[in-house]
Amino acid sequence: MDKTGYLILVCVGVGILSWCLRALPFLLFGRKGEPPKIVAYVGRVLSPAAIAMLVVYCYAGYVQASGPGLRVFFLPEMLAGVLTAALQLWRRNPLVSILAGTTLYMTLIRIA
Amino acid sequence: MGYSTMGFAAGALLAVHGGVSWPVLWGAVSSGLFISGPLQYLFVDWVKTSLAIGSVFVVVLCVNFRYCLYGLSLLERFKGAGALAKFYLIMGITDETYALQMNCRLPPGRPLRTYCLMLTALDHLYWVLGVTAGALAGSLAQSVVSPEKVQSATAGIDFAMTALFIVILVDQCRERVNRMPAIIGGAAASAVFIAMAAVFGPARARADMLIPAIVSIVALLLVFRRRLEGSRG
Repeated sequence: MDKTGYLILVCVGVGILSWCLRALPFLLFGRKGEPPKIVAYVGRVLSPAAIAMLVVYCYAGYVQASGPGLRVFFLPEMLAGVLTAALQLWRRNPLVSILAGTTLYMTLIRIA
Repeated sequence: MGYSTMGFAAGALLAVHGGVSWPVLWGAVSSGLFISGPLQYLFVDWVKTSLAIGSVFVVVLCVNFRYCLYGLSLLERFKGAGALAKFYLIMGITDETYALQMNCRLPPGRPLRTYCLMLTALDHLYWVLGVTAGALAGSLAQSVVSPEKVQSATAGIDFAMTALFIVILVDQCRERVNRMPAIIGGAAASAVFIAMAAVFGPARARADMLIPAIVSIVALLLVFRRRLEGSRG
């Protein structure tokens, strides 16, 4: 249960790293100038790729939860995910999409 | 404000499912330092699974890499601010504050800097308050009822993190240029996970997939650079 060391490491480390990333252009291009083209390119395409990876990472955590009956093939996770995506496409309201998806998921794992 | 609500949920999640001794303290500290929705939800996953610190840093790097591009367009606006103010303005760069700061039509100078500072401070405050209140509510619920009951009653609420990433992904994919990178990211991550799960089993594969996944994603993005840049128009 004692995770204090880990918590301090994560909080301080991630805090510093976050600040440095945000400060990078100020430190590098403080006077004038443009970022190298490769940085601009990676900055533009990495974000969607990383978010897609995190969706996969979340679903990877559900592999062990899958089992017999309704839970086969991540059925609750898939249905809840589809509902979330569909609502976001339609209504464009993140709170509504997340709330509906999570509620559906919580309901499905209780009847499964 | 939607900001605080998302923070509240992340804080409650930390208190109920994070397995941390002082969730209110850690919720406040982490939200104050990270100022990021995705990282706040991932934080719960990290402390729950004690994810390797190297993987944590790599994820932060990738999730927040876009912020170093935001800084570029804000350079002009933050010019002339004192060192401390600048330090804070940089720390508080988020998607929301950036959008509002870029939309502000005030001429560069003192009023603009004050406006940007106020905006950053308010967004920051709402976020930290949301997370802290959530952690407090989660802890209170556990001490009033019992941790086991609260945990079983809220089982599955961690799907909020998955849903958050799905929502971000859907919004990003509204722009055509983001679709190929997203497909590459999802496909490469799935391939890495499946391959590793076959060798090490799903639990270890999930814990260790992030670094190999990111390396292959960056490599693929660089290989396909010409095609992806060509599809910009």
